Parts: sequence; structure tokens; C-alpha cells
Amino acid sequence: MRTHFDVFGLPRAYDVDVPALEKQYRELSLQLHPDRQAGASARERLEAAERTTALNEAFKTLKDPVRRAFYLLKLHGVDLDREDAGAQKDMPMEFLEEVMTLREALDDAMAARNVAQARGMATDVEARRRAALAEAAEALRALEGSGDGAQVRKASHALGRLRYFTRFLEQVDAFEEEVLA
Amino acid sequence: MAYSDKVIEHYENPRNVGTLDKNDPNVGTGLVGAPACGDVMRLQLKITDEGVIEDARFKTFGCGSAIASSSLVTEWVKGKTVDQAMTISNKDVARELALPPVKIHCSVLAEDAIKAAIEDFKKKRATRQQP
Repeated sequence: MRTHFDVFGLPRAYDVDVPALEKQYRELSLQLHPDRQAGASARERLEAAERTTALNEAFKTLKDPVRRAFYLLKLHGVDLDREDAGAQKDMPMEFLEEVMTLREALDDAMAARNVAQARGMATDVEARRRAALAEAAEALRALEGSGDGAQVRKASHALGRLRYFTRFLEQVDAFEEEVLA
Repeated sequence: MAYSDKVIEHYENPRNVGTLDKNDPNVGTGLVGAPACGDVMRLQLKITDEGVIEDARFKTFGCGSAIASSSLVTEWVKGKTVDQAMTISNKDVARELALPPVKIHCSVLAEDAIKAAIEDFKKKRATRQQP
């Protein structure tokens, strides 16, 4: 399978030089641009269009540290975006309890229309979200060149936490918009 | 994406929202989450010593389909035996609520929550029966 990393000729690694990636993206886009395909056959033009789609998808994924982390984890066999069961049972129970408590506290703050309290909780959760991404990055770096199951699990738990924190923060944003509107 | 009328109905009038005492030996608590969306669902069942579910409560932080799925299963499990409740599958929930494919995981959460709650109850009972 051709991975997003292959599209840019990059090694399958967490750290990506984003400015260099952007430059390469622009160059590759230009090469595939329909204007450059003037004398090309239908087959060639079709292939160029397909490669452009793949290039855009690869760029979107690799330039973003969060998307990149989820994608790398998927290449290591854990797809947290799966819609069916599987990965979801893997989160530690204590963490789910904590999320439930956080969400209940946010519900109370929202019922009381207390934006300051919600924002205070969001600040704390944002810090924890950043820490979760850092932990996932560390585990994904440790996985480069080897397939250590413990590191896969560590990355998977960290990115799982990140998802729940992201959801929480979206909720706070929506609440703030609603109150301030 | 369009929600079905049944989803809307449960979303607007959710059944059995709330909590039961998680320290009650007859209460089983199931807590599940979906990293695909970051939603959490808690389902609690009050089960008689004979293994009949006499009450159910839920609290779900998630989309309309997740709330409707949990609301629906609290209605379904009441009066059922533990063994009967274990046979409820996510497919039954998805069919009843006419969930679209991207929302199937919500029904999976509801099924997982029932199983987790019953498991918790059985674990409690096993502990209680130890001398």
C-alpha cells in the first residue's frame, strides 16, 4: 500500500519538517496541474487527477500533528476512527470515569450559564490535551523501526484521551458561542 | 444527514435519564466510550437477586443517536432477565432507530454498555458470595 509518507518520499516517522513539506506539496501540485497535462492522453490526465487527490489527502494528514499521529497509529494497526467496536473497549476505566465527571461538571456550569467556570475547565483540559499529544508523539517516535506492542498501546491510549479532551473543548466552544451570541 | 423520527423523539424525550447508587450491590454500572467521536455513555441497571432487571438509568454525553440508543435500551431491558438482556444486539438498536451507517457505533456503545453493566453486577455478586 502506498502511504501518505510514500507520496512525499518520506520515512514513516512522526517528526515532519512542515515548511519543507509545504514546499514539496506546491511543487508536486504544479507538476500535476491540468495546465501541464495539455498534450497528455486521457489516461495520463486521469492518473494526474488521481495523484492530485492522493497528494492533497497526504498533505492534509501530514501537515497536521494530530492527524499525523492518528494516521501513524493506524499504520501500526490501531484505527481509532473505526465506527464499529474494537478499539473503544481498550480505554482504562478510570479515564472514562474521569471524562464522565468532567462532562457532568461542564453540564452543571452550562446549566448555570457560567462561562468563566467552563472556560476554566477548558484551560485545564487544553493543557491535558497537549500533554496527551506529546505522550503519543513520544510513543510513536519510539515505534520507529520497531513494532513494540507496549508503545502502540501507549500511543493508542494517549490519542484516545486526546479525542475525549477535544470533544470536551468543542462542547465548551459551542457553549461560549451560544452564550455570547 | 437526516435523523429518523424515532431518534428525534428519544432525543427530545429521553427515557430514564439519571443515576442509580453505584454502591448498591444490586446495581450494575456500565461505562463505555467511543474514541471515534469522544462520546461517553453510562448505563446502570438495578437487578433483583433473581436476575431480573427492575430499573435502568442512563447518562450519555454524545450525539442524538448515542442518546437515543441509550434511551431505547433502558426501555428494552426493564423487566427482562439478565440473560435476555445479554441477547440485545446493536443491530436491533440500529434497526429500531433507523441509524445510518456512520452512526452504527452509537448502537454498538449501547450494546457494550448493557454488557458492561451486567458484568459489573455479576462481579459484585461473586464478591458478595465469597465467605
